[in-house]
Amino acid sequence: MVLDPKMKQAVIRRTVRKFAEEKLVPAAAEMDEKAEFPARVAEEMAALQYFGLEIPAAYAGAGLDSVSYAIVIEEISKASGAMGLCISVHNSVSAFPVYEFGKESQKQAFLVPMAKGEKIGTFCLTEPNAGSDASSIETTAVRDGDGYILNGSKIFVTNGGVSGLNLIFAITNPSQRGREYSVFVVESEREGLEKGAQEDLMGMRGNPVCPIVLNDCRVPRENLLSEEGQGMRIALSTLDGGRIGIGSQALGIAQACLEASIKYAQERYQFGKRIADFGAIQGFLADMATRIEAARLLILRASSLRDRKMPHSRESAMAKLFASETAVDAARIGLQIHGGYGYSKAYPIERYYRDAKVCEIYEGTSEVQRIVIARSLMNK
Amino acid sequence: MKTKQNSDPSTQAAASGRGPSLGMGSQGKETPLGVALSGAERRRRETKWVHRALPAGTHWEGVWVFGDYRNYFQNRVTLQLIAKGNQLARKLGADMTVLVLGSQIHQYAMEYTAHGADVVMVVDHPSLKNYQVETYVRVVSQLVQNFKPEIFLAGATAFGREFFPRLAKRLNTGLSADCVALEIDRSKRLLIQTTPAFGGELLADIITPEHRPQMATVHPGVFVERIHDREATARILYPEVDIEAEERVQLIRSRPEQSRKGGLEEADVVIVGGKGLGSKENFQMLFELARLLGGEVGATRPVILSGWTEESRLLGQTGKNVKPKLLITAGTSGAVQYTTGIHGAETIIAINRDPHAPIFKMADLGLVGDAKTVLSLLLEKLRKRL
Amino acid sequence: MNIVVCIKQVPDTPNIRIDRERMTIIRDGVESIINPLDRIALEAALDLKQKEGGKISVLTMGPSQSEEALREALAAGADEAILLTDPGFAGADTLATSKVIASAISRMDPFPDLILCGKQTIDSDTGHVGPQLAEELNLPQVCGVTEIHVEMNALVVKQLSDGFQNTYRVSFPALLTVSQGLNVPRHIPLGDLEQAFLDGRVLRWGLKELDLRPEEVGFSGSATTVVRLYRPPQKRKGEVVSGSSQTLAEHLIAKLVSLSILDEDEAE
Repeated sequence: MVLDPKMKQAVIRRTVRKFAEEKLVPAAAEMDEKAEFPARVAEEMAALQYFGLEIPAAYAGAGLDSVSYAIVIEEISKASGAMGLCISVHNSVSAFPVYEFGKESQKQAFLVPMAKGEKIGTFCLTEPNAGSDASSIETTAVRDGDGYILNGSKIFVTNGGVSGLNLIFAITNPSQRGREYSVFVVESEREGLEKGAQEDLMGMRGNPVCPIVLNDCRVPRENLLSEEGQGMRIALSTLDGGRIGIGSQALGIAQACLEASIKYAQERYQFGKRIADFGAIQGFLADMATRIEAARLLILRASSLRDRKMPHSRESAMAKLFASETAVDAARIGLQIHGGYGYSKAYPIERYYRDAKVCEIYEGTSEVQRIVIARSLMNK
Repeated sequence: MKTKQNSDPSTQAAASGRGPSLGMGSQGKETPLGVALSGAERRRRETKWVHRALPAGTHWEGVWVFGDYRNYFQNRVTLQLIAKGNQLARKLGADMTVLVLGSQIHQYAMEYTAHGADVVMVVDHPSLKNYQVETYVRVVSQLVQNFKPEIFLAGATAFGREFFPRLAKRLNTGLSADCVALEIDRSKRLLIQTTPAFGGELLADIITPEHRPQMATVHPGVFVERIHDREATARILYPEVDIEAEERVQLIRSRPEQSRKGGLEEADVVIVGGKGLGSKENFQMLFELARLLGGEVGATRPVILSGWTEESRLLGQTGKNVKPKLLITAGTSGAVQYTTGIHGAETIIAINRDPHAPIFKMADLGLVGDAKTVLSLLLEKLRKRL
Repeated sequence: MNIVVCIKQVPDTPNIRIDRERMTIIRDGVESIINPLDRIALEAALDLKQKEGGKISVLTMGPSQSEEALREALAAGADEAILLTDPGFAGADTLATSKVIASAISRMDPFPDLILCGKQTIDSDTGHVGPQLAEELNLPQVCGVTEIHVEMNALVVKQLSDGFQNTYRVSFPALLTVSQGLNVPRHIPLGDLEQAFLDGRVLRWGLKELDLRPEEVGFSGSATTVVRLYRPPQKRKGEVVSGSSQTLAEHLIAKLVSLSILDEDEAE
């Protein structure tokens, strides 16, 4: 495994950081306060290919490898967790299946606009009664002539409020409940697709998360991704990449906590000295930095394996698990270091605290990640 | 041409224009201005420090100063250089000559005589009316080659910094930029040129061991001019030179730069706000403060990026340099990128809540506290007084 | 229009910490970037190419890792990148540097119409290489340009110099150095960065390719030598005061009075 960043990755990191510092950092607090997606910044990002990170140039994407991709997500998330979440989900979980499983005509119709950021993507899986237990979804897709009629409701759809294309996970074989799933690419304008009000969430408030309801929504056959019954396979295929994406997103938040804490600890004076000179604080910072370094290396390992087309389910699960828990931990300790001021909105640490928590939940809860890892250790 | 080298490893570094260029080097430890050569490499290159006699017939002597008389009453650098040039010339037992090019410039010859020149060399011709780089290089290089001064100085005006490097290249000699000190090493008859590096974080002493003349542009305001003396005399020379005006660059128009009333660079008092002020609203406070103190408002890059004020107020490496009587810098940590723009201030007062902030190292008075609070209190008090 | 842009890779100074005891830069975690004014020069070239068509070649003289700067330039839109690198180039002052770069430019076929450089670098600050290149290549020069317009067979440029705004007409080929304010460099799309790192996009030329003698370049080809590097003596008084905001504000007022910015007043 290559430990040192290659020249290209160093330049990518620097380029993204520069953009994030200039455009996202100044917007992040307001995004959170108003729970508003920054449309203008997103447009600029689209022009710079942030919505087509791993998609090949042939389809208007940037064609980055996985290691570089992880770096981009991390740096964007450091500036704004909500925006990092947006592009991570859009790239790893929404655009990726279209690339992997789409026919050429579908790639042209759907993938290219996604890569250009003209249409932001979602992956609609979760339902009121189906979270970790994905197979218990109730949304149906019934054959109707040459198309399908979709009915059901999806909740907590990341990017929902601004999406142009939505991947809907539905049952196409109701008589054999829980066994045959399919994925449909449904345009937001399509009749029968309704978006609900933006969720009022603890964190990631700049991401327009909302419910999406399908009410006799008729979609043509061309919108079926791959074939009927391939839905579970498609969903599972996104897991590894999705974990790397969310892991990187969590890492970005953790890194932001670390940098904020170092700065604060050196500015704050109590009992005649900087709090950075107290052993307790030094211990906090040391542990935080070490864990972050470990998380970064786990992500690097998973993404390096991915780039070499080697199996990486265990490694990506480890990366997601560790990075998300590191982020929550870093936010908690970071806020503690900030003391009373950390509890106020004058400092960004409380936003990091609120943003970090969900990383342990979505894209596979920490509990699920542990099961995945444990199973991979055993002979079966 | 063998070059000489000091054997002290810590001084192996150099910077473009003054020695080895930054970052270049195949081995050894990096120093801010280049690569410190490893022991083996040093031994390979080391030659004894010997003052080599110049080939017979090439005797270089005398201190020259380029007489930039534009904006004569505001731009005093030539007069400052005449004073310093004199001092250097005395140490070398040589003459100090001021070189003046232009059209109808006799009065400047008189002025420079009064300010201490031993010799004034005048080239008066209509083609030289406007300061033009290539035209001047052609004329001056001939004079240098004929008269062979060992030292040639010019003010680090914008023109000087464009003209002197080209001239140095034509003469195939060394040039250091924007010197803040000049001394003579009499034993080796060398000019020691001190220039700032890394935006002023460090100073480098540079020599031109072999090539002649030893050229340097000098930062205005470093040296002190001599008082005008009507009794002073000098030899005034009118040397013959070929004058060929540069045709490839035509001056279409020249207008005095719009000095905005109360522009940043003219202000006596400058108040700079950094990100530490906390918000755009807090930053606005500086405008009233500046108005009450008769000054202007400046900003650091993070402030500009956050949209708290316009880019024209940016100070530093990619912004403006200011030299006010008083500069108050509030909520700025003191990044080099910013501080290079404020070195010239007479008095610097810094306000920052981190006592270890680098800004305090370059402040005359440092106040450790919350910038916004301190300044609002100041504002309150000023409103009452004024 | 064929344009050559000369760039330099420099340390990202805001992040530099100087280890004053050992007189070295703390390079840990310090990025190397394209010198900001060189980036502006490249941006000017990109603007000109957009209007006039043509080709942009980017050059740098530096150690192997300077390649990173060239790759970034390619990503921004340069067509060709050449790294002038050779152990013999090490230790060069601007005299020797301009010799090497001029030699490389002379080899270009066709000879460029325009050479653009940043006015000065943030590490060396001399601003010499541009004029010295122009001299070596016998080209007209204008330094510190703030506006560039192309006319029939000539460039019209503006320059702020010593209190004057000058407008010049310069014939081709020419060399210009650019100042802050000429443009704001665009952000680079990530796909272009990816493309820039493909093999074979950066040429490498050394002593051999440039047909130069060792004594003309590097340390041997330099006229100046640095003999001492040191911290400037602290001219500032560096008086530091802590206390309540009230105390600090009073201290500030007292200082303003002592500087005659405020009058001595019995109010308050």
